[in-house]
Amino acid sequence: MRPLYLTFNVYFAFVRKSFQRRMQYRVANLAGLTTNFFFLLVHIFVYTAFYAASTEPQPLNLNEIITYFVLCQVSFMLMPFWGARSEVTQAIKDGSVALQLTKPVDFHAYWFADECGRACYFLLMRGCPTFLISILFFEVTIPQQFTVFMAFAASMGLAIFMSAAIMITIFSSAFWTLDTAGISGMSGSIIMLFSGMLVPIALWPEWLAHIAEWLPFAGLIDVPFSIYLGKTTGGAILTAIGKQMMWCIIFLGLGRFFLSRGFSRLVIQGG
Amino acid sequence: MHHLSLYLHFVKLRIRSQMEYRFSFVFDLFSQASIAVIDFFMIALLFNRFKELAGWRLWEVGFLYGMIGVCFAVAEMVGRGFDVFQNSVVRGDFDTILIRPLGTFFQVFSQDFLLRRVGRFSQAFVILLIANSQLTISWSFVKVGYLLVSLVSGTSFFIGLFVIGATSCFWTIQSIEIINIFTNGGVFMGSYPFSIYRRWFRHFFTFIVPLACVNYFPALFLMEKVVPSSVSTLGVYLAPFAGFLFLGITMLFWRWGVLHYQSTGH
Repeated sequence: MRPLYLTFNVYFAFVRKSFQRRMQYRVANLAGLTTNFFFLLVHIFVYTAFYAASTEPQPLNLNEIITYFVLCQVSFMLMPFWGARSEVTQAIKDGSVALQLTKPVDFHAYWFADECGRACYFLLMRGCPTFLISILFFEVTIPQQFTVFMAFAASMGLAIFMSAAIMITIFSSAFWTLDTAGISGMSGSIIMLFSGMLVPIALWPEWLAHIAEWLPFAGLIDVPFSIYLGKTTGGAILTAIGKQMMWCIIFLGLGRFFLSRGFSRLVIQGG
Repeated sequence: MHHLSLYLHFVKLRIRSQMEYRFSFVFDLFSQASIAVIDFFMIALLFNRFKELAGWRLWEVGFLYGMIGVCFAVAEMVGRGFDVFQNSVVRGDFDTILIRPLGTFFQVFSQDFLLRRVGRFSQAFVILLIANSQLTISWSFVKVGYLLVSLVSGTSFFIGLFVIGATSCFWTIQSIEIINIFTNGGVFMGSYPFSIYRRWFRHFFTFIVPLACVNYFPALFLMEKVVPSSVSTLGVYLAPFAGFLFLGITMLFWRWGVLHYQSTGH
């Protein structure tokens, strides 16, 4: 295996190709944007109605909730909720993975580069437009301090990184089961729950929020967004980012381990 | 009758082929159910904090949720052929369908059967049962009939959406993903009482895409909730039939779409 740092250019090229490949689907992206907005709108309707009926003070006010869900839709496509992407599992299922294996690259790094390209694409073409249009229509909070913004950027970057690492770990399971719809669906729903995508963790009952704290998945959504909203401040930011880093490393290791085990037992399918 | 026995035979074949990936099948069954459990759990969490939503309590919303969930699960199970129809157009397989001595609609309809949606179905059904036990709905013969009609109508509504998605493939080759807004989004929206939405939004999902007709209005009637003054009582009685009408219109759209088919692939 070649050392990674020498072949950085190769992997960067994979990132670029992955980005370019997705640029082809412009209409699909527009449809996706519409879908993002629809879900955002329904979320806002639901929470507005909930808040209208309640007089007690809540940990997040309505504006912060709206901002939270805008950010959710911005980063939705970057997250590992979809589990395995069909191209990869299809390659394992129909045997064309054999062709990919002939490339003289580190496989984990190759897929990771592919995921990064995907993340860049969705951040630029889906996330940014969603955010900009949301500012026009809804009252979105914007952090006033530059440091908060920097901390958010760092935390969000780590979230995207972790998402890619988790995704690879999930689709490695295709080497064992061939059809990953089940595993990716199940893991996707658990990740989605504990990331805080469905309901912000601040609104959860305490016992459940405690569980979420010990799991890595809040690092995908709730941790960066709490920093953005100014709910996590000072030293807590450093602890949160440290935790994200730790989980990133763990998932990278796990993905590498599964992939190497998977290849050693790989049976090429089809013909 | 011939069609029915043929359909059952096709379903048997589909089930057998899906059982080939047994581990994944079982896993998917559980994952379907767990996704749905989490879904409802989150709604329960919100009610735990906020107590009520526009005058609706948790299990009243649970009833809405169960109804729409059951309809969607069955629609996905039987209407799968239309859901994945784009593959037939992309690969040019639709040519084969055209030369067989059976209607195209029937053939595509019977092309797939997604057994694993049983997981989703049973979860939604259980929520519906629990909701029913928590609420004091005075069931009568009329109401049971009305519920059944509503459920079948809701299923027809979702199948109709799949048919629209499939028909659009005759022009766009790839399925238009916008349809997801109405299918997945419809389930999400339908889980909450319609009164929380804005007027234009409500009107769109009543008169153009009749989601409210197969879910919200029937629930109002069954739970004997106060009907909004802008809605006539007769409208509530007739609402469930909108689902059948919707499916009928989409079938006409399909017939028209088939005429525009140009083969692709090899």
